[in-house]
Amino acid sequence: MKKKRPVLWIVIGLNLVVLVALAFVYPHLMVSPGALVKGHAELTTDCFACHAAWRGASSDQCIECHAVADVGLRTTKGVVIAKGTLTGTGTATGTVKGSFHQELIEQDCMACHSDHQGPKLTQRSRRPFSHVLLKEAIRGQCSSCHASPKDTVHRDLKLECGQCHGSRAWKPAHFEHALLDKPVLERCESCHNGPKDRLHRQVRGRCGTCHQTQAWKPATFDHDKYFVLDRDHQAPCETCHVNSDFSRYTCYNCHEHSQAKIRTEHAEEGIRNFENCMECHRDPGVEPGKEGGRDRKGRRGDD
Amino acid sequence: MALRARLLRREVLPFLASFVALALLALAIDGLLHLLNLLWIGRWLGIPGTLLIIGSTAYSLRKRKLIQRGHPARLLRWHEALAWLGSLLVLVHAGVHFNAILGWLAVWAMLINVGSGLTGKFLLDRSRRRLEEARQRMRAQGLTDEELADRLYWDSLTFDAVKQWRVVHFPITMAFTVLATAHIVAIFLFWGWK
Repeated sequence: MKKKRPVLWIVIGLNLVVLVALAFVYPHLMVSPGALVKGHAELTTDCFACHAAWRGASSDQCIECHAVADVGLRTTKGVVIAKGTLTGTGTATGTVKGSFHQELIEQDCMACHSDHQGPKLTQRSRRPFSHVLLKEAIRGQCSSCHASPKDTVHRDLKLECGQCHGSRAWKPAHFEHALLDKPVLERCESCHNGPKDRLHRQVRGRCGTCHQTQAWKPATFDHDKYFVLDRDHQAPCETCHVNSDFSRYTCYNCHEHSQAKIRTEHAEEGIRNFENCMECHRDPGVEPGKEGGRDRKGRRGDD
Repeated sequence: MALRARLLRREVLPFLASFVALALLALAIDGLLHLLNLLWIGRWLGIPGTLLIIGSTAYSLRKRKLIQRGHPARLLRWHEALAWLGSLLVLVHAGVHFNAILGWLAVWAMLINVGSGLTGKFLLDRSRRRLEEARQRMRAQGLTDEELADRLYWDSLTFDAVKQWRVVHFPITMAFTVLATAHIVAIFLFWGWK
């Protein structure tokens, strides 16, 4: 025969009744999965402000207070929100212009927002903002939400960011030099710092003489095309290119080649037009007129 | 003493081991889900866990003659196995996160429930049997009742304590049922199942 314990049952029963009652009085403690965001603090005990019974939180409930047309533009109290922007690096200044909320392909607040902070249980279901959520038309108009950087590279650009940048991250960018105006394109130093090694310290010309815009290396300049720098010609650039002016050269800065000596040498051959040495002497190891040299025909006398 | 029933070593420790195994295994599975970034699985384990626990009550119903079918001894095995496994899944589902009080109370009630159940399983039935065996052996050796009482004093004390504890298994089950139901109702009421 089992003993009945009415007192025990009554105590347990009362405890449970109290607990269930507490769930109704303090739902934010008893059933809420975490504290609400600051802006919704006043709804802490009003679960049904956002939750529809048996259906969970729904966008319809959000829209009751947050009219889609006003999101990012006016507060729920009707106060106009100052239009800030996102900088190119994604740092917010003020609030993002409201356009993007109005331009989403679907009005599903829960897809991105979860008001219960803290537990991973609710956070993990959140979808990070993706530009794919934007309508096609607005997706390419970055400036409607973002301000472009004001550095030298971006200052004069009148292009959409998407020409160089992806929508997932600002870097890496794929810059196309062809998009620059010609004067800007020729002033590499306005965006780039030149190397400071021994060779480049001497160079004061345009980078484009030796380098291409696609990549710094390999350098395209081939000195041999103009003059072969053999064993006897391993001199500093300045010796031939005075003042680092690479558009000109002289051979008279070397004791081997004085103007008087050269004139005498060429006069013996009957050559009077000998100002442009490179015309005949491209390779110091090859005599002009021989294989690899240049024919002197037609250069004798005045021409 | 070789003739002692040695309840502590033979019964209390296995009981604790079973309880600790439940906790450690739950932590291990929870840790694994965290590691593999599969937390969503843990969230859904509450459902199979609850179903297993509900399934385990077949023995309770049979014992109280609310159902007539089934072999009680076999149903008891199933009761033990399913309730333990269901509790494991619910424990993983609860994780080690403190969110809502109601859910936590339900988990604690469940753990106390498992504890009282294991008490019945490990301590009471077998300790009664061992105590009886020891008594028989000692009687056969010609010990007097007084000597018997003296020798078996601590074992008897343990036995009485666990007997008292087992008594609360059913009320605790009721408390757990109400708390779990309240938690489940709250989930159905507020969650969008997304």
